[in-house]
Amino acid sequence: MRLLTERFPDVAQDLWTGEDTVEIQVPRDRIVETLQTMRDDPEFAFWMLADAAAVDYGIGQHFEVVYHLYSELHPAWLRIRVRVERADPRTPSVTGLWVGAMFHEREMYDMMGIVFEGNRDLRRIYMSPDYRSFPQRKDFLLPDDAADSSAAGVNPLERPETWDLTNFSRELTSSAATYPPIDAVRDVPPEAYPEAGESADKSRPA
Amino acid sequence: MTATDHETRIPDPIDLDRAEEARLRAAAGLALPITAQGSEYAGFELVGVPDRPLQTEREREMYTLEEGEMLVNMGPQHPSTHGVLRLVIKIRGEVVTDLDPIFGYLHRGIEKLCENATYTTALTYVDPMDYLSSMHNEHAPAIAFEKLYGIRAPRRAEYIRALVVELNRVFSHGLMIGFLALDMGGITPILYAFINRDDVVELLASISGQRMLFNFFRVGGVNWDTNDEFLSRLGKWHTTVMKTVTDNERLITENEIFKGRTKGMGKLTADQAIAYGVTGPNLRASGVPFDVRKAHPYSIYNELEFDVITHSSGDVYARYLQRIAELKQSLHLIDQIMDKMPHGPVQAQVPGIIRPRPGRAYGAVESPRGLYSVYAISDGGPNPFRFRMRDPSFISLQVVPVLMPGHLIADTMAIMASFDPVMGGVDK
Repeated sequence: MRLLTERFPDVAQDLWTGEDTVEIQVPRDRIVETLQTMRDDPEFAFWMLADAAAVDYGIGQHFEVVYHLYSELHPAWLRIRVRVERADPRTPSVTGLWVGAMFHEREMYDMMGIVFEGNRDLRRIYMSPDYRSFPQRKDFLLPDDAADSSAAGVNPLERPETWDLTNFSRELTSSAATYPPIDAVRDVPPEAYPEAGESADKSRPA
Repeated sequence: MTATDHETRIPDPIDLDRAEEARLRAAAGLALPITAQGSEYAGFELVGVPDRPLQTEREREMYTLEEGEMLVNMGPQHPSTHGVLRLVIKIRGEVVTDLDPIFGYLHRGIEKLCENATYTTALTYVDPMDYLSSMHNEHAPAIAFEKLYGIRAPRRAEYIRALVVELNRVFSHGLMIGFLALDMGGITPILYAFINRDDVVELLASISGQRMLFNFFRVGGVNWDTNDEFLSRLGKWHTTVMKTVTDNERLITENEIFKGRTKGMGKLTADQAIAYGVTGPNLRASGVPFDVRKAHPYSIYNELEFDVITHSSGDVYARYLQRIAELKQSLHLIDQIMDKMPHGPVQAQVPGIIRPRPGRAYGAVESPRGLYSVYAISDGGPNPFRFRMRDPSFISLQVVPVLMPGHLIADTMAIMASFDPVMGGVDK
């Protein structure tokens, strides 16, 4: 705790402690540097990357990449949160520090669509290579939700015109601007959005 | 029918399909199937090469063949890949030079399912993940949810948790030993292992009601207290388990063939293991004394006496010995737990649908395959806003392509089995 505030006065925003966790937030461009200090500095010695996870806070919000570290010297897990903007879902890869972050990052890319710059094997890991959506994002509707939605919501990521993965971040921003959020369209009768209803029928077998 | 009919070349239906496929692919903008060139197999489609443009640096490295190299596809239905795992193996002669594991065949989206379930029902979805350690699968989310909700399970519930979790570890390690021997051609150990496993799952069924997917943990306790049937079965099992374990050990440990095929095989150094995020018995077999039960004691593990066992050589044989040692240690832990088990309730007062205050919690347990952890976020609603699971065999699998090069094809399965991956957990 004290060590963290002394050593990272500018980096560690929003320091928070839980039952057995110390948590800091780090800006995206300093994450590799921070993790390297945490790992190599003998005062910290967080030698193990316990977990790396991505969180989606929903439409209009941001993503977050969360690292959990372990060290014998400290009685708590260290949690480092990195904010990643939805419009520009890129963050540096930490595979240079722990090669084992490779599968974590592949999973985050597959499920959330976060691009890790510098990862030399960033391809889909669970879904098939030609899959074009990111299932763990909050705007990925499950069939149940879609049936509830009066707009029979086909989420923007599932529309064929956004299938070009090479520049999906641009597509994402444009589609987020074009299509109203799911909650907003839910109460509108389907005839108000005829084209949404039609494409829903085509893309979602009953 | 005349002779000329035979001489007229009727197009082979396979050729027709190929032409049709090529046309469809061209229309869809996909690459043509990659075929072998300049060898006696010219024109044959190469098995294993993705039928699309290669995406990453690593993929190009893997699927670019040098003179004399060849790709072999193994799985996803191969019997010794421990589930539906597909391996593309690059070989030169009989020696493996590179390997690409491909999975996702068992992906069920359990994280997403849990995010759409209440906290109580989310605990039932995690059972089929790592189906050989279902109790551990439930333990980590239970810990995380209890931290979120701000309650603790009663002491007796914690003891029962530790008891069932150690029982689960016993049969999981026993099965790993059996499968390791099976992958090298020894049939008998797996039979002994399954005798032991059947005893334990019947035992756990008598306390939880189900044989495989126990659904035993609850937020703030466990579902049932111990009952007479469980205790009598446990006593009977306890008198025979050491004998089955020792029988199995005598079959394998000093077996010349087994030693010849495992010693020095798939050597994993401590630095490599740390860099690749390998945890659990595989990490300890490389000499790193990391055990979540000691590092961040959960449940009642700080009240029990046990050591962190390590082996130094880090080869397949060390990982086997590590499993045997930890299995026996689990039996001692079960003794201690039964000795110290207090009286009292097994379930805290918790409503059916809980709504924890907004917050974040991390729960980690030591599963038979390593660090199994859950990161849960609450937004104040009845279901977890984010539910993330870290499965140890998923992370351990990425070290396999590093260890393979230089070994024979027949040894790939031995090295993989020594990491004890369970594809249900890998694919989530």
